[in-house]
Order: sequence, then C-alpha cells, then structure tokens
Amino acid sequence: MDILDLGKDIDVLINIEPEDLIPLPYPYDDPANEPLIKKLTDDQKKRYEASLDGVIAIGIPKPTTKEEEETFVRRFLSGLEKLLSLENNWTFLQPLYHSLEYCVKCQLCNDACPAYIASGRKEIYRPTYRPEILRRIINKYIKKKHPSLLKLTGSDIELNWQLVARLGELAYRCTLCRKCAQVCPLGVDNGLISHEIRKIFSQEMGIAPKELHESGTMQQLKTGSSTGITPKALANIIEFMEEEIEEKTGKKIKIPVDKEGADILLIHNAGEFISWPENTMAFAIIFDAAHIDWTLSSDLAGYDAVNYGVWYDDIQLARIARRHAEIARALKVKKINVGECGHAHKAMIVVADRVLTGELNIPRESALPILADIVLNDRIKLDPSRNNFPVTLHDPCNMVRLMGIVEPQRQILRKICPQFREMEPHGVDNYCCGGGSGFAIMQSMNFPDWRSVVSGRIKLKQILEVFQDVISVDTKKYVCAPCSNCKGQIRDLFAFYNVFERCNILYGGLVELIVNAMVDIKKPFIEWEWR
Amino acid sequence: MAKTVLGGIEVEIDEDGFIQEPEKWNQAIAEDLAKLEQAYPMSDEHWKVVNYLRDYYLKYEIAPPIRMLVKQTGFDLKKIYQLFPSGPAKGACKIAGLPKPTGCV
Repeated sequence: MDILDLGKDIDVLINIEPEDLIPLPYPYDDPANEPLIKKLTDDQKKRYEASLDGVIAIGIPKPTTKEEEETFVRRFLSGLEKLLSLENNWTFLQPLYHSLEYCVKCQLCNDACPAYIASGRKEIYRPTYRPEILRRIINKYIKKKHPSLLKLTGSDIELNWQLVARLGELAYRCTLCRKCAQVCPLGVDNGLISHEIRKIFSQEMGIAPKELHESGTMQQLKTGSSTGITPKALANIIEFMEEEIEEKTGKKIKIPVDKEGADILLIHNAGEFISWPENTMAFAIIFDAAHIDWTLSSDLAGYDAVNYGVWYDDIQLARIARRHAEIARALKVKKINVGECGHAHKAMIVVADRVLTGELNIPRESALPILADIVLNDRIKLDPSRNNFPVTLHDPCNMVRLMGIVEPQRQILRKICPQFREMEPHGVDNYCCGGGSGFAIMQSMNFPDWRSVVSGRIKLKQILEVFQDVISVDTKKYVCAPCSNCKGQIRDLFAFYNVFERCNILYGGLVELIVNAMVDIKKPFIEWEWR
Repeated sequence: MAKTVLGGIEVEIDEDGFIQEPEKWNQAIAEDLAKLEQAYPMSDEHWKVVNYLRDYYLKYEIAPPIRMLVKQTGFDLKKIYQLFPSGPAKGACKIAGLPKPTGCV
C-alpha cells in the first residue's frame, strides 16, 4: 500500500481474507473453517471511520462538513507540533526523536510483529509503515522541506482528514508489544510511535477508544476502578472471597484491608475481582500461609492497579500514577507490589518513575519475585504431583521484555509443575497475546474479532504447537498467563476458536497453580471449567 | 448513540445494544432484549439470573463477580451459557439492563 494512497477516498484500503492468514496447526489447519471477522453494518460504516481495513477500534465520527474536515487536520498538526517540543512532551521526546531519525528501513523488525506476520504481511501493518507516514508528515508540514525535494526522494505525502483518520485507527493495530524495538539494531522503537500517535488523538483532539478513556481512566479516577467497582462493592467482594476461601480450602482467612504500616500494599488489576476472583483469593491464601505482612487498599483507585493512560495519554497516566503513590504513602506501607497485571507493571513500576518524585517515589515492585521466594525457599509446603498435567507459560510483554522479569515465574513452574513445557519463542523473545495496549478490553463492534483473527493468531499458534502431542480432549492442559489483560485476550481467543471444548486447554494465572499444589488443602483449587 | 424501540418505548442503546438509561428498564424491555440474545422465551430460570443481576446492580452499581452469580443462583456456568448463549456479560447483563461491563474483565 503506497503511502500516497492512504488519503484516497475509497471504501476500504485492505480486506482480511482467511486464505491470506498464516496457517494454524491441527485442529485448526483448514482455512475453510476459519471464523471470519464480522462485517460492519452500513450504519456503522456511515457514522464511523472504517476505511482502513473494515475494522473499527476507536470509532472516529466522520466529519460532515468541509470545515470539520479542515479542523480535524489542523488539530492533528497542532498536536504533532506539540509532540515534537520538549515543554509539551518531555516524557517521551527523546526516544520519539531517536526512532523518527535513526530508522534505516532495514526491515529487520518485520518478522517480530505478530499482527504483520499473522495477517499474511499486509503492508499497512508493517512496523515501519506507520512511522514512515508520520515522518513524511513532519518533513512536509512541520519542517516544511521543499516539495520538489520530497518528490525527488519519493517521500511526498498529501494530508487530508481521511489520511489522518486512517492513521489514528492504524495506531490501534499495534499492540505496543515492542518486540520490533527489541530486534532493531539501532534501538528504534516503532511501538512507541504508535503510542505517540495515540497521544495526539487523545491529548489534542479528544479522541480515544471509549473503553480506555471514558469508561477507563475517567471512570477509575471517579469511582475507583475502570471496572466500576466502588469501595462499597469492594467490601462486598472481599467478604465473598473470604467465604469462598473457607469453602474451597477450609482455611479461615481475614483479608487485610487498609492495614497501616504493612510491609506490602498489594494492588491487583481490579478485573480479577470480577472475572477471576480465584486469582486474588490465591494471593491471599499464599501470603497468609507464608506470614507475609501485607494489605489491600479500599481507597479510590487503591484497589485497581491498572493505569490505561500508559496506552494513550500521558496526563491521565500521571493522574493515576500519583493517586497510587499517594495512597501507599498515606497507608505508610514499605512498598507497593503489583499483582498479575503486565500493564500495571509497566505503568506503575517503570513509566511512573518519570512523574513520581520526592516523597511520592516510593518503592514499587512486581509480586513475582516474592512468590518465587516463597515457593523456592519452601516457605509453604507444596506437592507438585497435584499439578501433574501439561502446563505452558505465556510471557506478558511488559514483565519479560520491558522489565526483564523472566526467571521467577519459570523457577516456580519448574518446581511445581512436573509437565511444564516452554512455547517457542519465549522469555524476552515472546510474542504478545494479541491483546496488549488496551486491545483485550476493547470489546466494541468487530474489533474483538480482529484481535482474535489477526493480533492473537501467533499466540494461538504457539499454544497449539506446544501442546500438539497431547492435543486431544483426553488430556487436560493449562496455559499459565500471569497477567489479567493476557488472560482476557486468551479467554476471548479461546472462545472465538472454541479451544476449550475442542482441545481441553484451560487458561489461568500463576498463583492458582501454587495453591493447587498446597499440601494442606484437600480439594483441587483449580476447577476445570470454562470461565 | 442510537435509539431503538424496546418494550414499546424508545430507549437509547450503545453500539453493542446495551441500554444507556438503566432507569427505564422493565420486564418488557428485558424480553425484547432476550429476543436479540437468543434467550427468549424467558423461563423462571432466566428471570432468576436477570433479577439477581438487577438487584445486585441497584445495590452496588456494578455487575457481581461471575463466581458470585454462579453461587447465588445455584446455576453453574454451563447452565448460564445454556440460558444465555451470548454469555453472562454480553447476554444476561445486557438483558438485565446493566451497562456494558468495563475494565479488564
């Protein structure tokens, strides 16, 4: 797809056909049975920008007048100008500048991109395609390079609202997994460029997927959680968790809430409380058994580790990061530990370093090393034979590639899962689940189909490959994904392809496997049913 | 935001058919939504799930954890999927007039 065609007034630039997609292993090796991406209705196409690939992630309303079209482009350019100035973009200007200026287009990153490969190498998904659009816009409209020079070097571009809108959608076809940045010999981060384009749309144009902004960060700041859990609902859910723990394990545990001066403030992704409370229960059981001095918080946003700002808006990111740190400070805890949530690892532990200074810069760590310490040093009694079924590990990008937390989760699995096996590639070379950067929660129109068929395809392929020798329903198998977002994506992916019924593969977190192996708990903790 | 007629009155719905004005919800709206979600005709079992979700929502302004729904209604997830083929969130919650679930759920 020539970049000069990107602004053309045509219905759709590309279509995703089943025969173009990379093949899947047995029992999904017949492209004729490939489930299709739902077609949008005429009404949806009329109202929203959908001309990139027939898929809608953001839902950009179509301008109705020439004036609206011009305003749209003008605001984009004004945002772009800010993006390139230090006072407006001191958070990310340096890596952005580096990535824009240093790419030599060697295309080594192409094979690293899960969406590009899975789609059958559709040009618009190529990791160097988006940055090239932005580079050309900058050269022509910001740096105002001479038009004949741009034509001569084949780097001309013609800006109109259609091109800008398509670029906005295109910024949501990249999961920000940053595998492209990892393989780049020059350290160019094309994922970051998708992130920066999203920032122009949100911070300058007021356009972002509803799930990330309105019902995401805005709701979290207002009600306490992007799930809508209020402190009152949280109290009810914690009570329920305590009852469930007693019923399932016979243990009477009081889950500590707002305990001042505790060693650890544990913050979960609040989605766990609603969709996978067995994960938050398992943490409570393990920490209780290992005599960890810990607490949850019931303060607004103190019980939801997520920070969707990390995907699309630095200002929202800063607001939530400060909130988390202030809560920890008020509780006088020694540190924050983040539960099984990859993006919260990125936002709270890594990126928040840019905005939390002085007294707010309190220690923030992953919970995985604590779990490894408990398991490896026999601080609780475990019987690995309880987990005697094939288990594989999905690596959340933000834990492994971004932070280098690679071994703790593996040390645990090697010790407690006799049939643990690695998918290929894994560790820092992993592939994204396909739900990164907000995709797993973007549930509107036909976007969920796209992330099952395209961005999650390589992950499905890897999972099927690693279990190929035991693929029949007679053997139960477990994909351990220590991240709520990855779990949500794997759940939707499995439901889309009916993987649980056809292959008997269940997904779940890491702590559930630990509790499943605890010798003083009689019943299996993991219930082998779809959720 | 689109408007549609459900249960004989005009109601605002989002792109995925969730009603936007939870206070307008009534049994007739629920039944019309059930028709769209392959959960019609609604049996006592359907109503047991829908009423539980509705009551929880009115009290806590959110849908309950799925595990709590299973426990309180006595229906396992398989049964809930039989009653509501599009699932507890996209099916049962929608019919009960709850907003679309948000966050990492």
